[in-house]
Amino acid sequence: MRAIDAGLTSCHLCHQIIKLPEGRKGGVLHCPRCGEAVHVRKPFSIQYTWALVIASIIFYIPANLLPMMEVHTFAGTQADTILSGVLYFLETGSYLIASVIFIASIVVPITKLIILIYLLLSVQKHSHKNPIQRKKLYVLTEIIGKWSMVDVYVVAIMIALVHFGGLTQIEAGAGATYFLLVVIVTMIAAMQFDPKLIWDAAETTPKKETTYARNA
Amino acid sequence: MGYNIFHNLYFQKEDSNVAEAMIVCCHECDELVKVSNPHREGRFKCPNCGSLLFRHRKGMVEKMFALSLAAAILFMLTNYFPFLSFQVAGSTAEANFVTSIVYLFQKHEWLLGVAVLMTTVVIPFIRIVLMLGLFGPLYFGYLPHYATVALKVLTHSLPWAMLDVFLVGVFVSMVKLVKMGTIIPGTSLWAFMVMVFVMAYMQVTFNAHAVWDMVDTKRKQRGLV
Repeated sequence: MRAIDAGLTSCHLCHQIIKLPEGRKGGVLHCPRCGEAVHVRKPFSIQYTWALVIASIIFYIPANLLPMMEVHTFAGTQADTILSGVLYFLETGSYLIASVIFIASIVVPITKLIILIYLLLSVQKHSHKNPIQRKKLYVLTEIIGKWSMVDVYVVAIMIALVHFGGLTQIEAGAGATYFLLVVIVTMIAAMQFDPKLIWDAAETTPKKETTYARNA
Repeated sequence: MGYNIFHNLYFQKEDSNVAEAMIVCCHECDELVKVSNPHREGRFKCPNCGSLLFRHRKGMVEKMFALSLAAAILFMLTNYFPFLSFQVAGSTAEANFVTSIVYLFQKHEWLLGVAVLMTTVVIPFIRIVLMLGLFGPLYFGYLPHYATVALKVLTHSLPWAMLDVFLVGVFVSMVKLVKMGTIIPGTSLWAFMVMVFVMAYMQVTFNAHAVWDMVDTKRKQRGLV
């Protein structure tokens, strides 16, 4: 049985089960144990997630076009975007590093955005297909979210390590800033999405009264 | 182990095989799940959607106390010793963990500096201090009055602690720099690597449900519920 059907909800922070007051209008319900504001569903979840997804798509364009890192040497300045960095490593034969950067900076953000858009569309269409698979996709976006920070950290470490009295200097390009924003905004977008919405549409037939936890 | 009254409160049930059922609401699908034996070791999964409800392990308080102590010591080592030394044609650049972030600020990379400082120093530091402040007193048998705040901050800060991602970033930049000069890993890097694994193990062992139960027990004892 679902909590919402039983007139209950749970605190998203401390998991306390809370009885919803009947006929309540307005006002914010607070968890009696931890004091956090309790919402049956995250408020304006779909709107916020859409807004953040669109924002991160917009940020992702300059993140890819502008250079991540500018290397100033006595021979001149070399600017690398994400993709040209990956190609450089492919050419020099560092396939492992090339694949790490490719996965972290290109595959992960795009996968995250595609999954979030798919989840939003399916929830808005009240789809009741494959709720378990869609929940798994949502958990995946939460897990892979922070791994795109790798490239930002690489830029930061390179700047901090390579400075030899003006001979060789590394500077962060504008692309790094936009890419950082992409990572942060997509992480917040994934947090704003409420996975319970998937089940609201999926659960149309009432099921047996109580279900028991599987213990592995 | 003997001092811990909460440990006994929480774990005697298991020893005497008195199963006390409890109801948990699944975070992913809103299913009300009855857990008939919450004091058995292992992972509890939602029968409806299969997501992890919580994980119960014996001696959670002891393990967490030991791990957070270890993490605190490793954190100090990480920030005290040089992280990486980089040599090109005779000149050496030595980077300390915090001084290299300060260098980012000196070069006016504000957003980058703040992001790196928060995700690799400030938030992990807060998490370690709170874990120590929470499980230290628990190990010696009482629940600190700030337990609720500590648990709240720990829950909210979890996605923003990115030490493991930073470790991968360190490896990638080491491979990049190897072509330009010589890299000498410092003591701090080894401490940092161990800290990443200690923090990961802490996250697996940490069972917030059990600590919230202790908060409940205390509230009941003081007649608040």
